[in-house]
Amino acid sequence: MSNSIPEIRELDFMFIIGSNTTEAHPIIAMEMKVARQRGARLVVADPRKIWLTDYADLHMQLKPGTDVWLINAMAKVIVDEGLTDKEFIHTHTEGWPELKANLAKFNLAEAERVTGVPAAMIRAAAIEYATTRKAAIYYTLGITEHAHGTDNIFSLANLVMMTGHLGVPFGGLNSLRGQNNVQGATDAGATPLYYTGFQPAEDPAIQAKFEKAWATDLPATIGLNLNAIMKGVEEGTVKSLYVMGEDILISEPNTNHLEHGVKELEFLIHQDIFMNETTKYANVVFPAANFAEKDGVFTNTDRRVQRVRKAIDPPGNARPDWQILCDFARASGYAMPHYKNAGEIYAEIASLAPRYAGISHERLDRTPMGIQWPCTSPEHEGTVYMHKGGPVKGKGTFIVTNFRPPVEMPDREYPFSLATGRVLYHYNAGTQTRRDSGTMDKVGECQIEVHEADAASLGVKDGDMVKIVSRRGGIKAKVWLSGRVQKGCVWMPLHFVEAAINKLTIDAGDPLAGTAEYKVCAVNLLPLKAGKPAEAEAELAALRHPQV
Amino acid sequence: MAETFTITVDGKPVVAHAGEMVLRAAQRAGIHIPTLCDDKRLDPAGACRACLVEVDGQRRLQPSCAWKVAPGQNVKTQETSKRVQRHQDVLVSLYMADHKLDDEGLPVETCNGNGLREWAQECQTLSLDAVEAPRAARPGDKNPYITFQPELCVLCARCTRYCDEIEAVNAITLTGRGSETTIGTAGMRGLLDTSCELCGGCIDTCPTGALVEKKAIEILPQQLERKVRTTCNYCGVGCQMDLNVAKVDGVEKVVRVTSPPPGETVNDGNLCIKGRFAYDFIHHKDRITEPMIRKADGKLHAVSWDEALKFAAEGMNRVKQRHGPKAMGFISSARCTGEENFLMGKVARAAFKSGNVHSCAAT
Repeated sequence: MSNSIPEIRELDFMFIIGSNTTEAHPIIAMEMKVARQRGARLVVADPRKIWLTDYADLHMQLKPGTDVWLINAMAKVIVDEGLTDKEFIHTHTEGWPELKANLAKFNLAEAERVTGVPAAMIRAAAIEYATTRKAAIYYTLGITEHAHGTDNIFSLANLVMMTGHLGVPFGGLNSLRGQNNVQGATDAGATPLYYTGFQPAEDPAIQAKFEKAWATDLPATIGLNLNAIMKGVEEGTVKSLYVMGEDILISEPNTNHLEHGVKELEFLIHQDIFMNETTKYANVVFPAANFAEKDGVFTNTDRRVQRVRKAIDPPGNARPDWQILCDFARASGYAMPHYKNAGEIYAEIASLAPRYAGISHERLDRTPMGIQWPCTSPEHEGTVYMHKGGPVKGKGTFIVTNFRPPVEMPDREYPFSLATGRVLYHYNAGTQTRRDSGTMDKVGECQIEVHEADAASLGVKDGDMVKIVSRRGGIKAKVWLSGRVQKGCVWMPLHFVEAAINKLTIDAGDPLAGTAEYKVCAVNLLPLKAGKPAEAEAELAALRHPQV
Repeated sequence: MAETFTITVDGKPVVAHAGEMVLRAAQRAGIHIPTLCDDKRLDPAGACRACLVEVDGQRRLQPSCAWKVAPGQNVKTQETSKRVQRHQDVLVSLYMADHKLDDEGLPVETCNGNGLREWAQECQTLSLDAVEAPRAARPGDKNPYITFQPELCVLCARCTRYCDEIEAVNAITLTGRGSETTIGTAGMRGLLDTSCELCGGCIDTCPTGALVEKKAIEILPQQLERKVRTTCNYCGVGCQMDLNVAKVDGVEKVVRVTSPPPGETVNDGNLCIKGRFAYDFIHHKDRITEPMIRKADGKLHAVSWDEALKFAAEGMNRVKQRHGPKAMGFISSARCTGEENFLMGKVARAAFKSGNVHSCAAT
């Protein structure tokens, strides 16, 4: 997030696109509800009628994958109405003429045809955003999990910069990060592009700095991203994996294909708190500690570094992941220092990355609100909102974006567009939440949301079992006429191993980020019951009592 | 920034901001005024009457939670006003006549504390005949997390206001009339059959322990070993929470998760169902507790750490020698700490000379 969570309740306008906030970020949604009750206006763009749409002033129910059209049409309205922030554009940006010229093709009538959102609604939302000072945009994986995910974000960034909603409190472009430490993982350098603190991996000076600190030579080239590593596994060019805390055979796209590759690996280390699909193929399983059993930091979605504190001992011989990694590195022949505690590791991070230089465990222990990076010295207070006085990189670059449809569109054979996501009551692969009673009482089995008209033409009712097939695999789930999806679209949660949705999803990735297109793939639905109710009942029973 | 001026509370000057309530200014100055129905996150209700104070020029005592500050205002609390003191003694006694008491005649302690008990200990209580208020519970409510104990409810409506103003699902509400008023749901259904999302904010805000978590209801606050402030391990909001640790059969366990006080942390004391209640995984029987290696029989066998580490290092070094560092992949985790993600990068790059390191952050 360029801005901060505590600002939300004071906003006057919120544009939420591709974020089912009440289910994926419930506490941020509470802040949005407080703002809404205070009188803030709320515009939601989402293909589904999510909870917030009931609460919103406008719901732009766009067709899946048409975000670039919608956002560019909003940008064109702002240009046509003369509502751009000319001063901001002049002082803080580059590439405006090119962007403005390109926007000419995004007229409202065509936008309505492509996105399915009424032109008047697009126009109203654009004008309101441009003319409200305390106006902020929130997005999450509905924007990024596309093969054109970065185009979606560039389009949103253009909208923010052309209206000057950047570098000010109560504004900005705010990505709501999905996992407890997804921000912190990249911050820390678990990415092929950067060393710790977003220092470019291909920069020889940075490489030299880390070689000196770590007393060894380091690779000079950028490595493979996650999507490419998984493709390497499938193709047999990647021969070993060390996997920490992820069940790749549930969470990565197109898992049937991936599973063949994982079987062929020469060596697989898996480090986790529970056995799962991936441990089936592991040569080594390391038992890890969970968050209540170790020390460290998580960095949340508004760049807030906060302490994780050990409350109890791990069970049996399980150990904190940081100890396992150190022990393993030393066993492999690398002289990893003997860190006494996680605080010493953080001190090394702070010494290597200027943007965290002012942060330490000791300081965090004195700061219940956490510290938001950049925080460059022990005296620096942290950064509530980014880009104050102008974009961090100097000039903000407008990037021209053009519509590219999703990689796999529905056709006669696979007529439905499938999107995947979370429900409030579960978390990712479900290894934690499916071991709790109340979360299972609320949502205990996998359901596929289907539009009434589609259900009628398929001849299925609410509660019937269907097989869902894509070009890559098939799974079963129960039909739910939720009233939330549009015709031609279906939606499923990702938490259920017995309905492992990533057997269906496509492993097409965004060319820049490597993020997979979890939000659009083509599927067909095959009714299961037809004449064999006993069999369908047995299948249903198996789904209700999964072997997790 | 709002206009600032001073008011006088119990003869002492107190800094006040225009528009705020007397209670807030007094609290900031460290002056204690008892309250039951006040929660910083909610609009003032003035419902419980515990915080009544004397305000110069006002004939009646006024609720400090809902009385705005004014320049030069003179306020007296129970510390300096006999009238406020008398009011409190009577009011707390009335509450206690309609409340479950322990053997010493004090409001009972609960796993979530009891604000009425604390307040009663500050007052000269009178012994009044017990009122048998016919407040209904919801005995058929099968939800596994939240229970309502009507004999402890003071009808301050913090829970129902939280459910409306903050969580905005309006699952619970005040129902019934007069002495039958209770915390109800539509048709007195169980919470699983309402719009309730089981966030547990009602438990957190309840001042008397009438709404509590079912799971470890028998473990009172004084039986806890400690509370440990940490960051939630689910989504990316970064809610702060307190892990409540107690000994169960001689073993220290996380028995409860509670909210930090409102105003102190990024989540303002709010938590969702996952953060507050979905902690059973911590002590689940399925946890992996031993290192394991796959032996010639194709099965995983528990071994010592030394053996597992040696086996793992040899396996990875073999791949590096045969195929080079570019044939290796290191998958870090957004579930793990920053330090651990840093170390995974260091293991990949420094120990194996491979840049193929990424986390599930990509997806």
